Amino acid sequence: MDRTKPPQTPALPVYKLPPVFENSLANGLSVLLIEDRRFPMVTARLGFQAGSKYDPAPLAGSLSEAAAGLLIEGTESRTARQIAEETAAIGGSLHASSSPDHLQLAASALSENLPQLLNLVADVARRASFPEEEVELYKQNRAQELLSQRAEASFQADEKLAELLFAPHPYFRQDPTLETIEKLDRATLAGFRHRALSPNNAVLVLLGALPPRERAIELIAAEFGPWQPRELPPSPPASFPEPARSIVLVDRPGSVQADIRIGRLAVPRRDPSYFPLLVGNTILGGGASSRIFANIRERMGYAYDAHSAAYPLQDSGSFAVVTQVRNEVLALAIQALLDEMHRIGAQPVSAEELDTARNYLSGVFVIRLETQDGLASQVAAVKLLGLPLNYLEQYTTRVRAVSPEGILAAAARFMDPQPASLVVVGDASRILAPLESFGKVKVEEAK
Amino acid sequence: MTPLHIPILRHTLPNGLRVIFSPDNAVPVVTVYIVYGVGARAEEPGRTGFAHLFEHMMFQGSENAPKGAHFKLVESNGGSLNGSTHPDYTDYFELLPSNKLALGLWLEADRMRALAINPANLDNQREAVKQERRLSFDNQPYATAIVDRWPQLAFRNWQSSHSLIGSFEDLEAATVEDVSRFFKTHYAPNNAVLVVSGDIQVPQARELVETYFADIPSQPPALAPGLAEPPRTEPCSETYRDPLAKVPALVIGYPGPARRSPDYNALVMLDLLLTGGDSSRFHQNLVKGNKSVIQYAANLGWPFAGPSDYLDPGLYAMYLLYNPAFTGAQIVAQVEDQIASLWKDGLDAGELDRARTHLLAGRIQGLQSSHARASLLGRYELLDRNPDYVNTECDAFLAVTAAQIRDAARRYCVPQQRTMLDILPADPEEGK
Repeated sequence: MDRTKPPQTPALPVYKLPPVFENSLANGLSVLLIEDRRFPMVTARLGFQAGSKYDPAPLAGSLSEAAAGLLIEGTESRTARQIAEETAAIGGSLHASSSPDHLQLAASALSENLPQLLNLVADVARRASFPEEEVELYKQNRAQELLSQRAEASFQADEKLAELLFAPHPYFRQDPTLETIEKLDRATLAGFRHRALSPNNAVLVLLGALPPRERAIELIAAEFGPWQPRELPPSPPASFPEPARSIVLVDRPGSVQADIRIGRLAVPRRDPSYFPLLVGNTILGGGASSRIFANIRERMGYAYDAHSAAYPLQDSGSFAVVTQVRNEVLALAIQALLDEMHRIGAQPVSAEELDTARNYLSGVFVIRLETQDGLASQVAAVKLLGLPLNYLEQYTTRVRAVSPEGILAAAARFMDPQPASLVVVGDASRILAPLESFGKVKVEEAK
Repeated sequence: MTPLHIPILRHTLPNGLRVIFSPDNAVPVVTVYIVYGVGARAEEPGRTGFAHLFEHMMFQGSENAPKGAHFKLVESNGGSLNGSTHPDYTDYFELLPSNKLALGLWLEADRMRALAINPANLDNQREAVKQERRLSFDNQPYATAIVDRWPQLAFRNWQSSHSLIGSFEDLEAATVEDVSRFFKTHYAPNNAVLVVSGDIQVPQARELVETYFADIPSQPPALAPGLAEPPRTEPCSETYRDPLAKVPALVIGYPGPARRSPDYNALVMLDLLLTGGDSSRFHQNLVKGNKSVIQYAANLGWPFAGPSDYLDPGLYAMYLLYNPAFTGAQIVAQVEDQIASLWKDGLDAGELDRARTHLLAGRIQGLQSSHARASLLGRYELLDRNPDYVNTECDAFLAVTAAQIRDAARRYCVPQQRTMLDILPADPEEGK
């Protein structure tokens, strides 16, 4: 055996996803069933086209999120405590969360308790009552949590970048403010539930050690069948600002380091440029063998965390490079990031880089499907985003089809630093001068 | 009996390396996990942060895998990898498509055999660790208080009370000789456990392990650090002003029991009753009822460990972000009221059964990935010399009675043994 070289290994065996059985109820609820008998558990997702982008302007960033948080805090027939105790008693979990596009309930239980699990999920989705006391407590605690989040430089940076990239599209407000939290009340939340959480707006994914299919459908129909469809609220128009260079410094006195984001508007998953962007991003800053990691962290030693990421949304998307550096090297680090963003759109990537990135994305994709949660999340996302169900099957093929020319074109469109938005959160008294070498800086107080 | 049947095949190489195979062929993924029996509590004065600095050095290249190769080979083959430093161990893993098992083993064996320790790598990682400290601790609310100050309050023995991430001064002082000595002493096959879990065929996996690891020489065993703590007899309390915090937070801890003792099992269940899920007492009575606590986390071993890697001397500790309309002293009183009501008033009907079901479901949930299985198996072999606990410990937890929980609550979570750290926003106006 030659120990001096990495071992040769056989090809990866072909992996096919477990079959997905697709059905829908008469009221429009889309149902996906996946059999997975490895563990005596069932995992459910009930997702709605009801994310924060639908929030009315006075409640931007707060309504969908609050509704999600409060769904499990009381229904017409159960108190919050009863919901919590019944969930625990079936070996379950039950939570809802909101993203810019979707509101999603995530639940699980020991598989023998599937009927009780479906009953709980249907009850909170259909009959959440938003009790006054729970709403007030939610508002009080969310306000404190927000203060706490605002203490973190990365939160301030993400918030500001979203504003620069997306405003005035509602994607710009992905988090609430103290003002929008204060405006929440029971009637508004109940109105949201009535309007946005309807079966013709929803996807139910059920995965795990399921009963025979007819029985599963019967259980689902009993809980969700009588749910009345409703007319759906329109999506906000998908119009986004033209990219333009802007530099904002959010002043955070006392910061020992500067949190940097350089971002651009990008594209949703269904866009033909998405896969080239994804692979290009991986080469640029998507992992420990990426250019940014190798240069900013390993070679220059400027940062512990230096990466880039593409965030696809339903109607748009963003791309950003992210790092945190000590104040003294701020200008050097920003210049290095801008240079890397420029280079990937100017010169084709090498065959080795491309191979590495394609293998990485394909491998990580399979690894994400190891758990019920991972698989359920992927299937729900595909369905909610309106992607074809074979998207997961084809993912690896599409990653492998990306060419150096495709990356060059996508990088020139989405990674060019010229019209990028630059956000730095840090101590203005120490970093304003070096930042000004990149252009006119708007200094803002940290919120 | 719990329905857990994680396969466990144990094998020890002549050089002392303990190996565990745990096959599951459902998804073509394999985890190579290796845990070394050395952590921050084995550090020496003047060398704080050394275990963690060394963990970084493990990614700087070895005899046949040059600098950068480790990341590159794993990622270019579709895998992921990491390492982490803990009070009592340091672990590493490669999560790979299953055809790449040999690669993961080759990489781990190459660095166990011959790590590249040189001044350039050391300087570079010293900087990376300092930057990590700035990012993850110095620039984060609560983190410095919890990582640097809390252990000093909670422990008397320097081995447990010093900073796990270390000071900049000590990191500067680390020499190549220190690093080499640390490697030779602690990163020996006889101080490690290797786990291979996921989509494997055991005979082939075993042959690969023999091929790569069998001829790495063993070393004289290192002296275990003396961790003994004097008993606690009076409460200890401190207020910490955190310029980055906007909301007050409280850390409370009580010295805990010996690992795997009946009291340890009882405290695992006690913690579930107090803090496990939305039906727990803290959620229902403090977050909901009193509206005094906003968020909380608690564990045997918090903040650096949980029941799976709690090692005594350690604490049952909790962290509570609280409503600024209350004081830290009021929160402590409320927390101890909750604990006292357990032993004074007993458990509600169904409460213990719910906690048991919650525990079992959480365990099944938590064992779904090959990495989760490997990490528990490896650590139980290292800390207990018994990986079977993965399948059997739930039975011990589920057998704990209400009386045992009440008794443990009464004896462990008492004011005389309490350490508390109240972390307040530096400017009191900011928390309003």
